[in-house]
Amino acid sequence: MKLRTTLASVAALTLSTGAALAEYPERTINMVIPFSAGGGTDVPGRFFAAEMEKLLGQNIVATNVEGAGGTIGATQQADAPADGYNLLFAPVGTMTTQPHLRNTSYNVDSWTPICMVSEGPYYLVVGADSGIESVEDYKAITANGGPRFVGAGPGSMDHVAQLTLDSELGIEQQYLPTGGGADKATEIGGGRADASVWFADFDTRFNFNALAIMADERSDQHPDIPTMQELGYDVNVSIWFGLFAQDDAPAEAVETLSAACETAVSTDSFKENMAGANRLIRYMGTDEFGDFFRRTFELNGELMRKAGLVN
Amino acid sequence: MENLSLAISQFSTFGVLVALVIGCLWGLLAGALPGMGTVAALIVALPFTFGMSTESSIALFLGIYVTSVYGGSISAILINTPGTPQSAATVLDGYPMARAGQADLAIGWATLASFIGGVFSLIVLIVAAPLLAAVSISFGPAAIFAIIVFALTCIAWVSEGSTIKGLLGASVGLWLTTIGPDDLTGLTRFDFGQQELRGGLSLIPVLIGLFALSEVFYRAAFYFTSKPSDVQNVGFKLPPWADIRIRAPQFLRSSIIGTFVGILPGTGATAATFVSYSEARRTSPRAENFGKGEPDGLIASEASNNAVTGGALIPTLALGIPGDGGTVVLLGVLTIQGLTPGYDLVNNNPHILTGAFLMLMVANIVMFALGAFSGRIFSRILGMPEPILMGLILMFSLVGAFVVRGNPVDVTVCVVAGVAGVILRFGRYPIAPIVIGMALGTTFETKLRQGMISARGDFVTFLQDPIALGILGLTALVVLVPTLKRRKAR
Repeated sequence: MKLRTTLASVAALTLSTGAALAEYPERTINMVIPFSAGGGTDVPGRFFAAEMEKLLGQNIVATNVEGAGGTIGATQQADAPADGYNLLFAPVGTMTTQPHLRNTSYNVDSWTPICMVSEGPYYLVVGADSGIESVEDYKAITANGGPRFVGAGPGSMDHVAQLTLDSELGIEQQYLPTGGGADKATEIGGGRADASVWFADFDTRFNFNALAIMADERSDQHPDIPTMQELGYDVNVSIWFGLFAQDDAPAEAVETLSAACETAVSTDSFKENMAGANRLIRYMGTDEFGDFFRRTFELNGELMRKAGLVN
Repeated sequence: MENLSLAISQFSTFGVLVALVIGCLWGLLAGALPGMGTVAALIVALPFTFGMSTESSIALFLGIYVTSVYGGSISAILINTPGTPQSAATVLDGYPMARAGQADLAIGWATLASFIGGVFSLIVLIVAAPLLAAVSISFGPAAIFAIIVFALTCIAWVSEGSTIKGLLGASVGLWLTTIGPDDLTGLTRFDFGQQELRGGLSLIPVLIGLFALSEVFYRAAFYFTSKPSDVQNVGFKLPPWADIRIRAPQFLRSSIIGTFVGILPGTGATAATFVSYSEARRTSPRAENFGKGEPDGLIASEASNNAVTGGALIPTLALGIPGDGGTVVLLGVLTIQGLTPGYDLVNNNPHILTGAFLMLMVANIVMFALGAFSGRIFSRILGMPEPILMGLILMFSLVGAFVVRGNPVDVTVCVVAGVAGVILRFGRYPIAPIVIGMALGTTFETKLRQGMISARGDFVTFLQDPIALGILGLTALVVLVPTLKRRKAR
């Protein structure tokens, strides 16, 4: 093990002298996906890795390092050698809410955001036979001491959505934390919760109804579902996924990856794969994504401080 | 009928069958090697599905899913090490049977039980999936908590004669699951500032350490003095018909329990085996032989864990809600193939469902055949000189511990658990309770707290769930009745 570490650092030293870097990438790239295989982050991550592999001409090994809202995998990559061969494919929560909540060793300054790859707006969803037909219906719930909102653990984007709804709708929902994912559907389907947030496949997968979409515009997939803005509420919550390298990653590697990313998201095969899996592509280049990432980080931190989750 | 013919025409191609057989072979290997386990075996195969057809991907995954659950029983029986957590209860009677010179018969029982459990759950899946799917989500946190409490009574059965030691072990197991991230608060617990512990402990490295490594260490300690009796007659032998027939009720009960627990999201095969083992120990007419190599114990464990496969697929396919860890990955595979499991699949692509049922049936048959055939191979492997065999087990154990999450700390955890396992053996502490505590701890705690949050902290409201009350009442009876009977007898 020790020998390997030594060898690795020797290799890293040789690389960082510059000449060798001109040919980046010249070996296998390791990309950590900080959630479980087959999950919401894993699927777009693997599609994306497959395209990048073709463009860069090197293998990209996607590894799932899961746990603690993605912070285990993100920490591992934040501490990994910043040589352009250790990348992270992570969602908004891991990058902008968890660092506030969990006191992670990484923060907004630990990364070079390379590009945004995908974004899916959240829908406010309810059970099909719940009798809740509109946001106004939802606000008016008095049974069980008010609306019951089920989501992932505190500090997750689900929780951010609930907090925003609380303040914008002027209601007090009971927040029911679960393990997240399909656990939410179990609780709504079983009648133990009234609402949650989910992606565009809420109907095909769970046969749920959506009351509104938390985005600027209506979606082509569900043109009948109003936006929260139309209803008079400023609730905008979406889950995005992006590619990250460490803040001190070599500029040349970042440039190469950035260019490859722009091409990858517009290939036919990527579009086809994403459409098949019911996922939306959203591209932001390095500069735009960098600003956006920093803004979101501050915004979510503020929201969590207001909610008393962090001080 | 239209569905069936469409499904047959799409799934009965050469490529699909090859994918299925490869899946079964890989599943058997991954299950039998200590460490890999069902989920890891599925994840390894995930990238391959990118270039495969939908039908082949489904076949590959169902093959791995079904046989990996079975594969764990082989190492449980032959080397006293459950290959997967689902087979932890198989060790209890499987290994004693092997030590008594009936390894071939033990594998025969395990294979038969796995096959029957698998096929039973498949039939339930075909006949009643939509109905049971509705039942599955009606079990709230309180009801699942109650089932876990029932499963915990298994501790009493596996630590007979040293109940205090068993309870101590179980407490340690329960406590180990509190290390790491807490989903319900977002906080990290008991990491003692160690970055490596922030992800918590994974069950598999602890399991491998406690069983496989401690076995290696233990044998090494006595290698020159008193060699433990070798496992004899490795192979495959089906039990005589008369023995099978008198155990028909056991097959049925275990299959029902497995299917039922499998249906409930977030429980899984390991919990099912402990519920089933407890129930068998309580109701079997041959209860006094448990722990000494009683086939009923083997059936209880192996029929129930394979019955979970069909059970767990019910909410996965019908509702898009995965029933256990393996089906989470399966759901991902379907998504990658552009299919949405759940409402859409049932209503718009029913031939895919029918095809999946067909593949499950074939996978169970292939599993049976592989089990019968692989007995010979395993006898060769076990025939190796002991130092080489133990060296191989050591190597596979450490690699297996690492592979599960790719986290180096798991290797350390595995070695520590191995040393602890040897010390416990010398102190005559039963090892199984620690594993039971650890396997059930997270669900036990999460469901209790989730239910209490819903009930706004009021325990009475929490217990107003009639299903939960019923199961807790049953648990109380199971615990109290033998005690009261003994009192009376005195």
